[in-house]
Amino acid sequence: MSRLHPASRRALRESWPLFIAAVPFALVLGLAMTESAIPVVVAWSSNLVIFAGAAQLATVTLAATATWGTLVATAAVINLRHLMYSAALAPRFRRQPAWFRWLAPYFLIDQVFALTSARTELDDDDWRRYYLTAASFFMTSWCAATTVGLVAGSAIPASWRLEVAPAVMFGGLVVIGLTNRPGALAAATGAAGCFVSLGVPNHGGILIGATAGVLAGYLADRARARDAAEDPAAWS
Amino acid sequence: MVVSFVAALAAVLAVGVLTYTARAGPILLLGDRALPAEAQRALRYVGPAVLSALIVSLVAGGQGVDGVDPEEIAAIAAGCMVAARTKNLIAALVAGMGVLWLLIWLF
Repeated sequence: MSRLHPASRRALRESWPLFIAAVPFALVLGLAMTESAIPVVVAWSSNLVIFAGAAQLATVTLAATATWGTLVATAAVINLRHLMYSAALAPRFRRQPAWFRWLAPYFLIDQVFALTSARTELDDDDWRRYYLTAASFFMTSWCAATTVGLVAGSAIPASWRLEVAPAVMFGGLVVIGLTNRPGALAAATGAAGCFVSLGVPNHGGILIGATAGVLAGYLADRARARDAAEDPAAWS
Repeated sequence: MVVSFVAALAAVLAVGVLTYTARAGPILLLGDRALPAEAQRALRYVGPAVLSALIVSLVAGGQGVDGVDPEEIAAIAAGCMVAARTKNLIAALVAGMGVLWLLIWLF
């Protein structure tokens, strides 16, 4: 531990609470893998190939009922938000080496985005160390936790409703990150937009709500554009 | 139905490729060009907007409004309130799940 670079130590210190919060999701995913229509080995391999909780859960649970095309399209729509994460982080990658620009996106999960987009004060080398440490930590612990869920998760009674934990976790993440009115408006509009479009298939409501929320936040921010400049990553 | 080994593996690989493409595209393609200031202004609100929409979609569970149940809403609300007060994610999770289990036990 003491031989770790300070940026790496900081990454581990700030990563583990987010991981603890993601453990229920990992356990639920592991449990879903045992009940999935697809072979357990293939389902587990999604940890390494997809590495995105919501898309993995969709893939594993939809396999029994969805067509191949529907399944892939659903997971792709769920993951469109990563396009926006990537665009938000792109400026930070401009001065990074090519190998890191190609490798880093593989690990760009919600938690890694939330952590690394907030670390605006780190210089490029420290930010890369911070990113890679958090990324390795989440990949390793995610694989371990889904394996635990796969092996032992079935012992947890369904009455514990562990599947609710991810929504509670995301709610906390949003609230903790809110620092201004446009952010709160973006969150409220995102939720409302998704709610009114729940009938849209393939989780299309996520994208509709997200678009409406970003638009609302953007317009509100513009309306008070002359105010003091704000931290671009303040929400996280 | 994606049940055969090969079809399942192909589906996982396809989702993996699409996921990487979404994550890598802007980082690799924006290159040395800076994002316009207006785009950055909009991207600032991607986080709260997408995550809130994701919460609603998770709560509905793919069953539309029928999938929404009051205990789940109470759990999320409790988690949000504790998060607002403590800024602590684990406290929020414990409070949310605690309220959920209390409600399940009561009713």
